[in-house]
Amino acid sequence: MVKYVLRRLLGMIPMLFLVSVVVFFLAKAMPGDSLRGEIDPTNTNPEYIAEMQEKLGYNDPVYVQYWNWVTSFVQGDFGKSTRYKMPVSDLLLEKIPNTVFLALTALIITYILAFAMGMYSGRKPYTIGDNLIAGFNYTGLAIPSFVAGVFAVYFFAFKLHWFPFAGSVDIEVQNGTIDYWMSRIHHVMLPAFILGLFSTASYTQFLRNDLIENSRKDFVRTARAKGTPIGKIYNVHILRNSIIPLVTFLGFDIASLMSGAVITEKIFSYPGIGLLFLDSVNNRDYPTVMAITMMLSALVLVGNLIADILYGVVDPRIRLG
Amino acid sequence: MKRKSMLWLFAMILVLSAFLAACGGDKASDDKSGDSKGDGKATETEDSGPQQGGTLTYALDAVPEGLFSFAFYGIATDAEIIDFFDEGLIKYDENLEPIPNYAEWETEDNQHFTFKFKEGVKWHNGEELTVNDWVFALETLASPDYDGPRYANVETVEGAPEFREGKADSISGLKVIDDYTIEVTFDAPRLNNLTNLWTYPMPAKEFEGIEVKDMSGSDAVRKNPVGVGPFKVEKIVPGESVELVKNEDYWNGDVNLDKIIVRIIDNSATVGALQNGEVDMVAIQPVSGPEVEKLDNVEIVTAPGLSYYYVGFKLGKFDNKQQKIVEENPKYQDVKLRQAMAHAINRQEWIDAFFFGYGKPINKPVPSAHWISADDSEVTGYDYDPEKAKKLLDEAGYKDVDGDGFREDPKGEKFSVKFSHYATGNPTFESRATALTQYWEEVGLKSELEMVEVNLYYDMIEKDDPSIETFFGGWSTGADPDPTPTWASDQIWNYPRYNNPEADELLKKALSVEEIGDDKDKRKQVYAEWQKIVTDDVPMIFIAELDELYAVSDKVGGFTVDVAGTNNPSEWYKKEGK
Repeated sequence: MVKYVLRRLLGMIPMLFLVSVVVFFLAKAMPGDSLRGEIDPTNTNPEYIAEMQEKLGYNDPVYVQYWNWVTSFVQGDFGKSTRYKMPVSDLLLEKIPNTVFLALTALIITYILAFAMGMYSGRKPYTIGDNLIAGFNYTGLAIPSFVAGVFAVYFFAFKLHWFPFAGSVDIEVQNGTIDYWMSRIHHVMLPAFILGLFSTASYTQFLRNDLIENSRKDFVRTARAKGTPIGKIYNVHILRNSIIPLVTFLGFDIASLMSGAVITEKIFSYPGIGLLFLDSVNNRDYPTVMAITMMLSALVLVGNLIADILYGVVDPRIRLG
Repeated sequence: MKRKSMLWLFAMILVLSAFLAACGGDKASDDKSGDSKGDGKATETEDSGPQQGGTLTYALDAVPEGLFSFAFYGIATDAEIIDFFDEGLIKYDENLEPIPNYAEWETEDNQHFTFKFKEGVKWHNGEELTVNDWVFALETLASPDYDGPRYANVETVEGAPEFREGKADSISGLKVIDDYTIEVTFDAPRLNNLTNLWTYPMPAKEFEGIEVKDMSGSDAVRKNPVGVGPFKVEKIVPGESVELVKNEDYWNGDVNLDKIIVRIIDNSATVGALQNGEVDMVAIQPVSGPEVEKLDNVEIVTAPGLSYYYVGFKLGKFDNKQQKIVEENPKYQDVKLRQAMAHAINRQEWIDAFFFGYGKPINKPVPSAHWISADDSEVTGYDYDPEKAKKLLDEAGYKDVDGDGFREDPKGEKFSVKFSHYATGNPTFESRATALTQYWEEVGLKSELEMVEVNLYYDMIEKDDPSIETFFGGWSTGADPDPTPTWASDQIWNYPRYNNPEADELLKKALSVEEIGDDKDKRKQVYAEWQKIVTDDVPMIFIAELDELYAVSDKVGGFTVDVAGTNNPSEWYKKEGK
């Protein structure tokens, strides 16, 4: 097991390296640089731009720039954001907690909803309730999150006043108090629901289909024949088997929630990694773009690894080799 | 079983469509209430003057970079926040003339200035503001480690270049007389020395012990910014909101509001937030205008803007090393062609369609709100006149010789106007650019449009890329009226590569102390002559100047805005019972 994990971790290094090369050169291939964009002749002058380009090394050949970036990156120096003029690591540390909070809440909402709905649908397939849930799920799958987000803001924030429409916290409450955390939770619910909508739908359907499939298997018939209560059959025998596909999703979800947050955070003006990433791409803030991309790539790889390990834990029949 | 589920699907679709229909109906009722807006406004006039207290929510639709210092900020969003808590030595009146704020100045020769600071102006940290804070700011800007873009505002002070190169320990042009008096000497007498000078002190005490190169990332800029303005920064949630509270010790009278909350919101939420009263004030784009107009509880306050849009012709090539225009592009050299293309455009119709009337056609290279702007009678205007456009084209030899419906050039070869416009995520850009090319096609000029990604766009224009022939652009003017940076033939930002020695001469003359001195009328006259020449030559077609728009809730009073910006936020107040 340890050997397996180590081997996987080592295998990530060339992957990350390739990702970094591709992303760096693609980022540099974008037209313009962080000093371009809208030029305002009243407070920028050509000498300043030329000087800063030289200072930031934009005049070096791209491979030299890549080498400079990669050498300091592996030493843990992510560089300085050209837009925020502060170290990228500080910038990320400022935003990561928000995104993690959002992603975790989304995950919890997803699991609660998916389990409740999936169990119901799986036990009572083709009933009115199942069809309603299926209708809800397919709507969730069909509507892109940016549309769902705007609609959610319109209905739940502006019409019903249930949730705030933007931000992560009410600035007027004292940091660290109960009110503060309540305010944070209040602010995160709506974006988290939207963020989790897609995975809720797929989780529910997967769980449902798996429950139905498993309930027709021989071991269920045997259990029934033995006289095991039907509730126990579902909760123990079937569910344990049906969770396996869901557990694999958990690994992927870590990464997809983080990156899926890009759109959601933008719509809800939620200051996390996603909003920062969009902003950095638009402003050609290369150090920030690179750091976030590398982080997300590492998360995808680690997420896959976690999924594989969890397989073995949930289902001992699957051996890690 | 099967049929039942189909039934359910159908029922779901019905429910969903009812849902959507409900949204549509809602919009319609909004429309109706918008129409009766006029009477609504008239009845709510019991405004009993400024009231104390209250919290105002001010929204921004872009994320600030968090550089909350005049010396370091890069984008206008940050400046909007800084304006609440800090002020400069001087300010500008509605004619964009510098007037004293907390410092007065005297000068006899436009080279030597004496500034006298008001006594008792306090920073938010309790320290008194002195001229040393200003010297500190100027030396920071002139430091070789300074990473902001404002060195140009100190460069003209005598001794600043030496200081920057490390040859001097201080800027020789700054002579501190006492804590409240300072003499500033420039390297040459100029009429715009004062408007070009950096007039924002920095709280020296707050920056004590911070190296210049670390300043922009320091807490004194990002987390606990200190100013002298009517509000103090209480708390910053990065990228999301800023809480500002009343400055009890404000030097310039009482502050009405207790608090201003600045919130960052997404564009898509602006209208809803205004309607719900969650936002009291926000600067909006003309595009949002029609939607905001429909709200009963919000008013749109406009002020003339200082920017203008144009269609430029690439007339030459600029050599950055020699700092001059080295080549002429032949295609658009015929002034009659350019004039015809100007006459072909129906600017009013275009502005109404794409800016919903929040703007007007402009006839010269200076926004009409600016004091140097010439009267329309003094310049050559190009009103919409397709017949005249056709006549001019005929005269210039652009005639349709092969009968395809489009004109050929005087040599009889195919002629096609190539027009470039920048592309961002904004879907209206392509349609507004297409509209312009259609005007040209209507007078018989074949036109093709190219949308270029915005970052690449300005790069291509600056480098005179051959694929740019005619291009859409915009410029904004600051308080300093001097158009040299965007118009003189030795400037890289003279994008059309307009080269008329006569015009250059006038630009120089307007700045010359010997010839003009302090005589404003004379100076204006020279600029008017210059504007006349430029409009005769049409190196660019001047399209539109746009208004600045603020959406202000009816709960807010005391808000005014003019060409120099909003009034002092200390005068804003919240109306009682609202």
